[in-house]
Amino acid sequence: MNISSIIFYAISALILGAGILAVTSVKIFRAAIWLLFSLVGIAALYFWMQVEFIAAIQIVVYVGGIVVLIIFSIFLTQNSGKEMAKPAKGKVIFSALAALFGTAFVHNLIVHYEGFATNSAKPFNPNVAEIGTQMLSTTSHGFILPFEVVSMLLLAAMVGCIVIAMRPNNEIKN
Amino acid sequence: MFLKDYISDVYNGVTSLLKGMRKTGYYFTHSKEIITEQYPDNRATLKLADRFKGEVVMPHDEQNEHTCTGCTACELACPNGTIKIITKFEMTPEGKKKKAIDSFIYRLEMCTLCNLCVAACPSDAIKMAPNFEHSVFDRSKLTKILNKPGSKIKEGVE
Amino acid sequence: MLSLESITKTTQDWLLAKFSPQIALTIECVIVILLAITLFAVLGLVLVLLERKVAARIQIRLGPNRVGPGGIFQTAADTLKLIMKEGLTPDTADKFLFNLAPFVVMMVAMLLLAPIAFAKNFQIWDINIGVLYISSISSLSVIGILMAGWASNNKYSLLGAMRSGAQIVSYELSAGFAVLTIVVLTGSLQISEIVASQENGWWLFKGHIPVVIAFVLYIIAVTAETNRAPFDLAEAESELTAGFHTEYSGMKFALFFLAEYINIFIVCTIGATLFLGGWMPLHIGHWEGFNHIMDFIPSSVWFMGKTFFLIFLIMWFRWTFPRLRVDQLLNLEWKYLLPISLFNLLLVTVIAIMGWHF
Repeated sequence: MNISSIIFYAISALILGAGILAVTSVKIFRAAIWLLFSLVGIAALYFWMQVEFIAAIQIVVYVGGIVVLIIFSIFLTQNSGKEMAKPAKGKVIFSALAALFGTAFVHNLIVHYEGFATNSAKPFNPNVAEIGTQMLSTTSHGFILPFEVVSMLLLAAMVGCIVIAMRPNNEIKN
Repeated sequence: MFLKDYISDVYNGVTSLLKGMRKTGYYFTHSKEIITEQYPDNRATLKLADRFKGEVVMPHDEQNEHTCTGCTACELACPNGTIKIITKFEMTPEGKKKKAIDSFIYRLEMCTLCNLCVAACPSDAIKMAPNFEHSVFDRSKLTKILNKPGSKIKEGVE
Repeated sequence: MLSLESITKTTQDWLLAKFSPQIALTIECVIVILLAITLFAVLGLVLVLLERKVAARIQIRLGPNRVGPGGIFQTAADTLKLIMKEGLTPDTADKFLFNLAPFVVMMVAMLLLAPIAFAKNFQIWDINIGVLYISSISSLSVIGILMAGWASNNKYSLLGAMRSGAQIVSYELSAGFAVLTIVVLTGSLQISEIVASQENGWWLFKGHIPVVIAFVLYIIAVTAETNRAPFDLAEAESELTAGFHTEYSGMKFALFFLAEYINIFIVCTIGATLFLGGWMPLHIGHWEGFNHIMDFIPSSVWFMGKTFFLIFLIMWFRWTFPRLRVDQLLNLEWKYLLPISLFNLLLVTVIAIMGWHF
C-alpha cells in the first residue's frame, strides 16, 4: 500500500463519513455543512486523479454555488435552528435497505463490466485548452450540441427569473 | 437618452471618487498637516484654541482690581446653580454706601461650561479660560472663590 | 547571485543527496508548511500596522507610536493580548460549528497561497488551472462566514453573514470577468505562463484601455469580495456591532482578522500577477541600459513592491470612501460593474483575435 492509495482511502472515508453525517444529522444547518464537506471531498478526489479542471468546476458549481444557495434557503426558513424530530423507525430501515441495494447494484455492475480498459486509442489529456476545443468542436466527439442546448435552457431559466422578479408598471405607480 | 445618462452617471461617479482620493492622498503625503498633540509630552509647549472653554475665571489687573459689580446677572443666568455671589456694602470716600462683592463662589464640579454666565455679564468681569487639568484629590477644592483676596472693583465701573 | 531560486535548488539537491526521494518530499512539505505559517504571521503583523499607520496619516493623525520606535511593535503587543484573552463560546451557540468556522476561513486563505509565484521559479504548486483554482477556492471563503454567522445564534451575526453572502456571490462575477480578460489575452490559466507572457511589457500597458478598465473593475470587485470598506456591510459597526464575528473573542477573533488581511494580500498578489507582470521587472521598449538596471533588482522585490502598492491602493479606498447601503451595493454590481465588464470582455476578445495588442 503506497502513499497514493492511503490518500485515496482517506479521501473516500471523508466523503462517506460526511455523507452519512449529512443524512443522519437532526440539525438542518449541520446537515448542509456535512454535505459541503462531502462535496469538497469529491473535489479532492478529482485533484487526486489529476483532473484539476473538473475539480475546480466541482468546487465552483457545487460548493460555491449550490451549497451556498441551500444555506441561504435554510437562513430564510422559520424555526430552522430547532432540532428536527427523529424519523420513524420504518422509514429509517427502508432508506438503509434502499441505500444498501443501490450500493450492491452499482458494485455488481462495476464487477461485471469489462469496458474499463486503459489502452484507449487517444491518450487522456486533461488540458484546459483541449477541454475547450472539445466542448465547441462539431466533429464526431464534439459537444457543441449539448453545450448549446444547455445554454438555451439556462437562458430560458434566466428570462423566467426576470419575468417573475419584474413588477408590472401599473403596480409601481400605485 | 438612456445611454447618455448611464455614461454621465459613471463619469460623475468616478470623478467624484477621484476627487476624494486626491484630498486624502494629499493628507497622506503631507506630514506637516498632522494635528495630533502628544499631550503629556508637549505639556510645556501645548497651545489650545482661543475658543476652548475650560473654566470660568475673573481677570484681575496689576492693581488687583476686577470689574465685577455684584449685579448677580451671572448667578441668575446659570442653569444649574454653579455661581453664588455674596455681596457686601462698602463706604465710598464721599460717605455713600456702595454695593460690592464679598466673594464670587464658583463650583467647577457643577459647571457644564455652557458660557451663559459670560454672555450675561454686563461688565465683562468673567471669562472662559483654556485650563483643563482640573483633577484634584478632594472635591471641596473644586469650589473656588474667583475674586482674589483684597481685590476691589475698578474705578468707574458701575 | 543569491536568489530565492538558488536557495530552493540548493536545499532540494542537499535533501535528495541525503535522503530517499519520498522522505525528501515529506521534509520539503514540512518546510513549505512552516514557511507558509511564518509568512501568514509576519503578514498579519505588518499589514495591520501598515493599515493603522496609513489610516492615521490619511486622517491627519500620528497613529500607534508608543510601543517600540514609531509604534512598530504595536501589533505584536496586540497579538499577545489576543492570545491571552479567553476564547468565549456563547451558551446557546452551535458549539461545533462556532469553533470550526474560523479554521475554515483560515484554511481557505492557506489553500489560496499554493499557486502564487512569489519570485522567479519560486512557487509552491504551478497548477495548470492557476487562476481558475484561485477563483474556485476563494468562493469557499463565504462558507466560513455563513457558518460563523449562523452558529453564533445572534441576529446581528446572521444579518452580517447574509449580507456578506449576497455580496461575495455577486461580486465574484465581475472579478471573474476581469480575470478572464487577461486569460483571453494570454491564452492560458497557468500562473507561470501568464507571468511569462508579460516579459516584454505588463498587460496594463500592452492591452490598451480595455485592460485598464478591467484592472479598475478587478480592484473594485476584490475590495468587495474581501468585505472591506466601502463594502464592509457584513461587519458594519454602526448597524451590526461587528457582523458575523460579533460573538468571537480572543484567538478565534484573531483568526478572522488575520484571514481578512491574508485575503487582501492574496487578491493583491493575483492582481499584481495578472495586470502588473508578477515578478517581471519593468522594461521599457528598447532602452537597453534602463532595462539592464531594472534586471538587477531581485524578482521577489519586484513582486512584493507591486503587491504592496495594490494593498496600499485598497487601504486608500477604505479610508476615503463612505460605506454603501445594501441596495446601492447590489445596484453597483448588477447595473454598472457587470454590464461594463461583459462589454469590456467582448472588446478584449476582439483585440486578442485581431492581434491589436502589443
